[in-house]
Amino acid sequence: MSALATAFRAELRAILGDRQVRMIVLLALVIYALIYPLPYRAELLRDVPVVLVDQDRSTASADLARRVDASEAVALAYAALDMAEATRLVHQRRAYGVMLIPDGFERALLRGDQSPVALYADASYFLMYQRVMQGAAVPLRQMGAEIEAGRLIAQGTPRAVAAAQVSPANQIEVPLFNPAAGYATYVLPAAFVLILQQTMMMGLALAATRRGPLPGRPVWRLLGQAGAWLAIYLGLLPIYLIVLPVLYGLPILGGPGSLIMLGLPFLLAAGFLAQLVAALFRRAEVVQVVLLAMGLPFFFLSGFAWPVEAIPAHLNALAQLIPSTAAIDGLVRVTQMGASLPQIAPILWHLWALAAGLGLIVLAVETRRVASATPAGD
Amino acid sequence: MLAVMAREFRLLPRRPALAGLVVVLPLIMLLVLGGIFRAGIPTGMAVAVIDLDRSDLSRAVARMLDAAPELTVTHRASDLSEARSLIVSGAVRGAVLMPPNLERDITRGERPEIVTFYDNQHMSAGSLVARGARNAIETALAGLRLSVRQGRGEAPVQAMVSLQPIPMQAHALFNPAFDYVHFLLAALIPTVLQIIAAAATAYAVSLDFGPGRHPRVLMRMAGGILPAMLGKILPYTIIFLLILGLSDVALYGWLAVPLRGSLWLMALGAVLFVLACQMIGALAFVLSRDMGRAASLIAIITAPAFGFMGLGFPREAMSTLAQAWGAAIPGTWYVQLRIDQSLRATPLDISAMSVLWLAVIAGVLAALILLQLSRLARQEVAA
Repeated sequence: MSALATAFRAELRAILGDRQVRMIVLLALVIYALIYPLPYRAELLRDVPVVLVDQDRSTASADLARRVDASEAVALAYAALDMAEATRLVHQRRAYGVMLIPDGFERALLRGDQSPVALYADASYFLMYQRVMQGAAVPLRQMGAEIEAGRLIAQGTPRAVAAAQVSPANQIEVPLFNPAAGYATYVLPAAFVLILQQTMMMGLALAATRRGPLPGRPVWRLLGQAGAWLAIYLGLLPIYLIVLPVLYGLPILGGPGSLIMLGLPFLLAAGFLAQLVAALFRRAEVVQVVLLAMGLPFFFLSGFAWPVEAIPAHLNALAQLIPSTAAIDGLVRVTQMGASLPQIAPILWHLWALAAGLGLIVLAVETRRVASATPAGD
Repeated sequence: MLAVMAREFRLLPRRPALAGLVVVLPLIMLLVLGGIFRAGIPTGMAVAVIDLDRSDLSRAVARMLDAAPELTVTHRASDLSEARSLIVSGAVRGAVLMPPNLERDITRGERPEIVTFYDNQHMSAGSLVARGARNAIETALAGLRLSVRQGRGEAPVQAMVSLQPIPMQAHALFNPAFDYVHFLLAALIPTVLQIIAAAATAYAVSLDFGPGRHPRVLMRMAGGILPAMLGKILPYTIIFLLILGLSDVALYGWLAVPLRGSLWLMALGAVLFVLACQMIGALAFVLSRDMGRAASLIAIITAPAFGFMGLGFPREAMSTLAQAWGAAIPGTWYVQLRIDQSLRATPLDISAMSVLWLAVIAGVLAALILLQLSRLARQEVAA
């Protein structure tokens, strides 16, 4: 038992007493909390600039342009004479789409023919493409529906019947969680989990390479160390996942109780993995660089930003061994979607299994090292 | 300088930690990143159907949903709370609700509602679900409208035309297949390489210029601190350029990413990019004179760099501060150059700006390193 307490104190000292480790653990919080979210502060894309190429110059084309310009998503910021001029603006990233109203647009509408409009949207940016399409498609469909209904009424169809014929059912889309489609709301909660894991592993692995060997039997020693990690990080976890999001004005649906319950096995698993990383790479400099480089691949392996459905099965199986994979999924569901613990029970068990498995491996490695360090017969 | 370079190449295999950082780690990263995105466009998101009508029409809509490439109907929920629970637990990404009497209300012209719920916390998957469901329901409804018009004696072609007075011809510029894999990989590989190049260079420099080392041997060998520094840095420039080249071969050969622009401009950009990354590492080390602190400095600059490149959230929509921070990072310009020259076929005069920025960043960093080195040299003389 005293070995446990000694290890607990020694590990705390190794983490908080070492200037460099302390810097990683605490400064990381401040810096990452300030720098990471910086690009996403704007949250929403409004009035994405689009070029108008109006070759018809009629009342109808002006009407359509006004409707599109009025949408929240896009603004017809430039008018160009031809496609070449318009495309150049898109190449320069000054505009993200081109709406081409061809010559004869109004005439075709008056004749009762189909009168197409071309929309070129920059698909190199997923979000921009969506906004441009959305901004143009809705007013276009609306104007089309008004024209179709007008034609039906002109043919003698009753007004209500015409409306039903034009659109027999109302299609409604309800985004659950993150209803405003804010980019910060989407990406930050998951990113904070990953940052927590990476900086924690960096700090603990660094402490492991820099502190001397701890006394006592490996089991007690490891438990003492784990106690020290939890003492520090059970405090930091709510800061990363509740305080920071609140400071950034992100919605929080989950309570601290489930957060801690899920965070416990996650922190243990990350702590044990850090010991393995330290044992594998030994040198402090290498450990830091490897963990730094692994950040982005870990994020995309987690199946959050890049849907897990699209990740090859064998890679996905490997990804399950990384604590952040299950933790990002679980913690985002708890804090952002208000999931109860029974709803995410498989994730909880997954993390406990990971913590236990990694803990046993660390124990085996440690026991072997002790055995090889002490000569036989001692 | 050449002597120092030759020594560096000779020493590399004998320093497993360094060799691991500059060769093994980047290759593993290439494999992992390539592996993640190899499958291409995400498809088959799980959705639940809440069919409270159980009519021919509602079954037709459900079939359309399942047939959409973006979706797979995996669950049938009996009410909204069951569907919500499925979404929260992650079993499905969205649900489509068809109310009771849907078919009857449609034939009576009462315009009932069909509601698609989707998980927008997982925005990338959620928006796929929304798009898939929107198109599937629209197709089902268009079929209905068509049959009503034909029932009234309109010719199929005429009916088709009347359905959409103003059809939108949508063109996806630069990315007709909607494949974001190309864009993500084109940005992720340089981002990770930026971290590794900066850190590995700092580490290599620390091996000769760090505390307790004797840089004088090296300086005498090269004839001055500047050639010694260059001799230290350039071997890794060559290695990282080879790795970048290998990733290009994988990207443009194996994954068949289109290459529409000037290879020469891209190659010039690559050289400047690698040099700039390395100089971030070298500067971090000569400023801090300690590998641990240098690694922290490098982490601050290179680790959050991906977000500032504007691949997810575009740079033009960021605050001025975020745009400025992003502009100071070499990866931002190199990734823009790569995307412009490989996928967007941007005219050279526009793309030349990115190369110019890279050159400016590399130049400023080099000047800062020289300034610090001469300061250190003066201190040594004074001491």
